[in-house]
Amino acid sequence: MTLKVSLLLDSQLTPGDAKAALGEVVADARLRDRYTVYALVGDVLRGNSTPDDGFSARIFERMRREGARIEPGFDPLKDE
Amino acid sequence: MAGMVQDTELVRLAQAGDAKAFEALVVKYQRRIARHVARYLKAAGDVEDVVQETFIRAYRGLASFRGDSAFYSWLYRIATNTALTHLERNPGEVLLGDEAPEERLDAFEPGVSDAEDPERTLFAKQIAETVQRALAKLQPELAEALMLYEVDGKPYAEIAGMLGIPIGTVRTRIFRAREFIARRLEPVLEPQRPRRW
Repeated sequence: MTLKVSLLLDSQLTPGDAKAALGEVVADARLRDRYTVYALVGDVLRGNSTPDDGFSARIFERMRREGARIEPGFDPLKDE
Repeated sequence: MAGMVQDTELVRLAQAGDAKAFEALVVKYQRRIARHVARYLKAAGDVEDVVQETFIRAYRGLASFRGDSAFYSWLYRIATNTALTHLERNPGEVLLGDEAPEERLDAFEPGVSDAEDPERTLFAKQIAETVQRALAKLQPELAEALMLYEVDGKPYAEIAGMLGIPIGTVRTRIFRAREFIARRLEPVLEPQRPRRW
């Protein structure tokens, strides 16, 4: 399964496989961990040497706090 | 670069309402976006705020993303606009021009840019050193495939052509290289595990 995690990160899965792999990753802390660490490895190799110390968790927390949702008609490239 | 793939499936799932698919995209691109935003802003807190705003705006506007460009390119443009808007609204924080953008970039590491927190800086250094040590111990053919993908930004098919191997072998070499490094990172990353995605 961890091979699929690597392929999911690189958008190498077919639509059906990607959906199934995402479901498995979301449901399994070990696989989520692998997805995160594989992404981290790439960033470190590119020179973005950073720990994942809750940076993404704070993004998700703010999204929940602000009740972010998909808004048809909203253009994120235009000022509000 | 490696991130310039289309991300078609994760985006499509996110657009269909799968919030976890969007979270997977955030995990994938958070540092690249933070590094880009750091070209415009100096304070780590401002950078983090703009990165958060970027992803929130992207999520709100997901329906408008048609896939004409790569998802990362779209995200990059949103981040640029959001950073510039932040500067316009906070003129006291305008820093463009007071030093070269690349100098700011070199100094910035999201989550560890606080010079008053040497522990976090040390942690980032440990991660980088562990990755480099693991890379040095990797079988050369695995390291080569991983570096061609992650650093040189070659797509899988091109790597297969360059190395004269089937694309399936490229998939497994990149995976095995990541897994080799990930296992060596485990003890270093363990203290932060509860705070991860």
